[in-house]
Amino acid sequence: MVTRRAFLKSSGIGLFGVGLLGGIPSFLADVVAEHKRASLYSKRKVLVCIFQRGAMDGLMAVTPFDDKYLQAARPDLYVGPSLVQGKGASIDLDGRFSLHSSLSPLERLFREERLAIVHGIGSPNTTRSHFDAQDYMESGTPFEKNTTSGWLNRAVGLLGHEAITPFSAVSMTPSLPRSFYGQNNALAIQDLKNFKVQERASLRGTAKSFEELYEETSSSLLRETSKESFEAMKLLQSDVVKNYTPAKNVRYPVSNLGKSLKQVAQLIKLDVGLEVAFTESNGWDTHYNQGGPNGSFARNAEDLAQSIASFWEDMDGYQDEVVLMTMTEFGRTVHQNGTKGTDHGRASCNFILGNYVDGGKVYGDVPVLATENLEDGRDLPVTTDFRAVFAGVAHDHLQLQDADKLFPGYTGDRFALWKK
Amino acid sequence: MNIRHTIFLCLSLVLSLLHQLALAQRAAKLSFPYAKEGLTKEEAAVHLLSRFSYGYNAADVKETMEMGLEKWFAEQLAGSESDTTLARRLDAFKDVLKSNQELYSLYPKAFRVRRQAIEEGVWSKDSVGVAGNSALLAEYMASKGYKREKELIDQFVSAKVVRAVYSPNQLRELMTDFWFNHFNVSFSKGECTTFIPNYEAAVIRPNVFGQFLDLLTATAQSPAMLYYLDNATSVAATKNGRKGLNENYARELLELHTLGVDGGYTQQDVTEVARVLTGWTVKPMAEPNRKGNQKAKAGGRRENGDFLFKAATHDRGTKTVLGQHFSNQGYDEGLQLLALLSEQEATAQFISRKLAIRFVADTPSTVLVDKMAKRFLDTKGNIAEVLVTMVNAREFWDRDVQRTKVKTPFELAVSAARSLRGDINDPVKFNNWVSRMGEKKFYYIAPTGFPDYAAYWINSGSLLNRMNFGLNFANEKSTGVSIDLLAPLSFREPESMRDALKKYSNNMLPAVDTERLLERLEPLLTVDNLQARVGRKLNDAAADGSKGQRKNKGTQEELAQVLGLIIGSPEFQRR
Repeated sequence: MVTRRAFLKSSGIGLFGVGLLGGIPSFLADVVAEHKRASLYSKRKVLVCIFQRGAMDGLMAVTPFDDKYLQAARPDLYVGPSLVQGKGASIDLDGRFSLHSSLSPLERLFREERLAIVHGIGSPNTTRSHFDAQDYMESGTPFEKNTTSGWLNRAVGLLGHEAITPFSAVSMTPSLPRSFYGQNNALAIQDLKNFKVQERASLRGTAKSFEELYEETSSSLLRETSKESFEAMKLLQSDVVKNYTPAKNVRYPVSNLGKSLKQVAQLIKLDVGLEVAFTESNGWDTHYNQGGPNGSFARNAEDLAQSIASFWEDMDGYQDEVVLMTMTEFGRTVHQNGTKGTDHGRASCNFILGNYVDGGKVYGDVPVLATENLEDGRDLPVTTDFRAVFAGVAHDHLQLQDADKLFPGYTGDRFALWKK
Repeated sequence: MNIRHTIFLCLSLVLSLLHQLALAQRAAKLSFPYAKEGLTKEEAAVHLLSRFSYGYNAADVKETMEMGLEKWFAEQLAGSESDTTLARRLDAFKDVLKSNQELYSLYPKAFRVRRQAIEEGVWSKDSVGVAGNSALLAEYMASKGYKREKELIDQFVSAKVVRAVYSPNQLRELMTDFWFNHFNVSFSKGECTTFIPNYEAAVIRPNVFGQFLDLLTATAQSPAMLYYLDNATSVAATKNGRKGLNENYARELLELHTLGVDGGYTQQDVTEVARVLTGWTVKPMAEPNRKGNQKAKAGGRRENGDFLFKAATHDRGTKTVLGQHFSNQGYDEGLQLLALLSEQEATAQFISRKLAIRFVADTPSTVLVDKMAKRFLDTKGNIAEVLVTMVNAREFWDRDVQRTKVKTPFELAVSAARSLRGDINDPVKFNNWVSRMGEKKFYYIAPTGFPDYAAYWINSGSLLNRMNFGLNFANEKSTGVSIDLLAPLSFREPESMRDALKKYSNNMLPAVDTERLLERLEPLLTVDNLQARVGRKLNDAAADGSKGQRKNKGTQEELAQVLGLIIGSPEFQRR
């Protein structure tokens, strides 16, 4: 268990920046002042992960558009840059792959070479069960069921310093995701504004009473944790947090993902010590009427792309410190099924966004989709182990020490996605 | 009186006598050495209730002392007290007691319903997935008498809450929870969702005090476990080299269910265990008379409820586990294997330690665990006997282990309801708070089950939610429980706010030094002249007299605040 007493040690910039000093206890202000100088030169790196639950159809998101086999296998689903004219045509990225039109907000980031795509990514474990595949991807051990920790929790532990604040690892979900299970402190918060003791106006003083009760308890676990809680609460209850507005002209989608990423942006700007953030995008299990340029896939894709693009714009001034990565448990069948959807397959693709990412490329190996090239004769084969990509991002962005401990049992290479 | 009636009466008399006898025998084996550890009888009763019930108040402590601590525990071990109030409350959730087959038919998965609707021509293929599809689906399901899975899960969680709060057989409930977590399955894996209610009702609950091997075998053969850990699809490797073996269950069986991670087995053992258990699968629910199943029968199938042994997919070769050979014994190999695992020293240690962690302390003494493990081996895994050994041991009554366990969110919520004799009116809402505090019950994704140590449950976010739970609970807001705030005050006006506070804490935290707690709560009493205001309002309320009018709103609010502080206090977080 990492010691968790040192709250706000390095969040000096944020605190001074937003003028919170009056609202925090003086001993904390001292701590902050002491560490202010150090923090100035060591801005914290932040990794933001989005888990697309339900398994995204990577072939529809990023389509090898001139593949005749794909067109034949998907009479109702195939969309290419030229086959569907006008609105709805996909966007030709590099002459071989095209981006689904609903993902168009990501195009600019790709052209600016900050967004990379890895295609053919997946798990070496061939399970096509959502449950198992998500479990394996989040634990980071695709053949080991009872790994008690998640890979993002281990990543926090490998950062090479104590957890400095309760906000080191934050999941914008109702309960802790598998990725965050483990020994290191991690928070699940749905709404920053509700991170408080619910006091009634007529009976103020309740929070203070609780604080005092916990300050004097003999249990050090309860005492220390409550200290962190109240400090964090005070910070989040400041007017600066409550009245947060994104950078000008940035409008997040009014969706769970949009709201979550907005709050991640808020935490990053407050410099409360966020290092790993996690959130989810649901609804990718498109067995029925997946649709083409419009329909259920398109709606989800649009939310994903607009949320990410808004987040990135909102991060203006902070982008050097932030990398955003998507992940999904597996891909979908090459052939459409009897109800104009797709079933569970193997490889999919993911997106990695950051200023130092060597973007503007579709990485990975996607063979011609003839039956003989497919995994089990039906699915896009996994040509890149997800651990290679995750480990690469963790190593190059978070600069983990002992990065080899991140994925126990993994002996493969790390994917190199960073600009030289 | 007819003869049948007489026989029935005689039988009940004999049964009740036998029960009394068993109880007396059990009680005779119990002798709690708390005095040697310097505990008063009251302190001992509090410790006993804190470890073997979901919550208590001063009246419960008194009752237990009068009854005798050993007798109380013996009755809990017998776990046979009936309660009509509980039965009536459970009536609203009776689907959870249905068989797997019934639940499979009544709560079909959405994809099955869609397929059926298309097959019946009610829907065209194209209409699937269009806008308004959920309304169409609901309509079709209603016409067939189907219910949604969410309803089953809600019923299950509700029954869980109601039992924990109201069951007189508290230890049976705690043990059901313990074993469910030990043999964890999860609603997050869709394949096993339908079978979880029956898993708890028919596989876990009846076996919690019996032989460990019975419990192990019942879980190994249950559809919930067979699907959760994939053994249902594990078959012998075929000649063309395609592997059919799935080692998932085999590994957890060794690592989590029996020997423990350091239990001295190898990867080779894991593979061999998986081979022994090939062919252990689930009897098809949908079409029991399908041709294929008839064929399987001819090939030597064995059925046991929902369990099916398919000889055709069983590995007939020789397997070796922990040095013991299994060869061509079909179904019996699996039973022999489970027996072998259940009688290992490592298993005795692993299970005993886990029980001691649950009921004594996060880091129990090895002396205690050794005593329990020895009893486990001597009785071939009799769980009740292991518990008796635990509670008879001096180490159980050691002052240092008291109030060291932290309540899980579920335990916190249920103990609040029990100590105030709350009336659960919306168990789903109640459970939502449990989830919010960090325990999404029956959804823990990993086969390890929830960890059982304080640091797992106490973190910044969850701690604030524990405090908020206390405040909301006391205000009867959004927690699905109503309480009578004046009941702990014996329906009498307190002399002062401090007096009210004292009565609450004495009632809810008997044997805790409440003077200290009161000191810490003083700051609140001075806030906005609260003490004077409350005193006045209580007087008004008491003057009102009749019980129905006792709910003076202002009084409620302020008393509730105080009560909320007690529930959210550090003292109440500990068990």
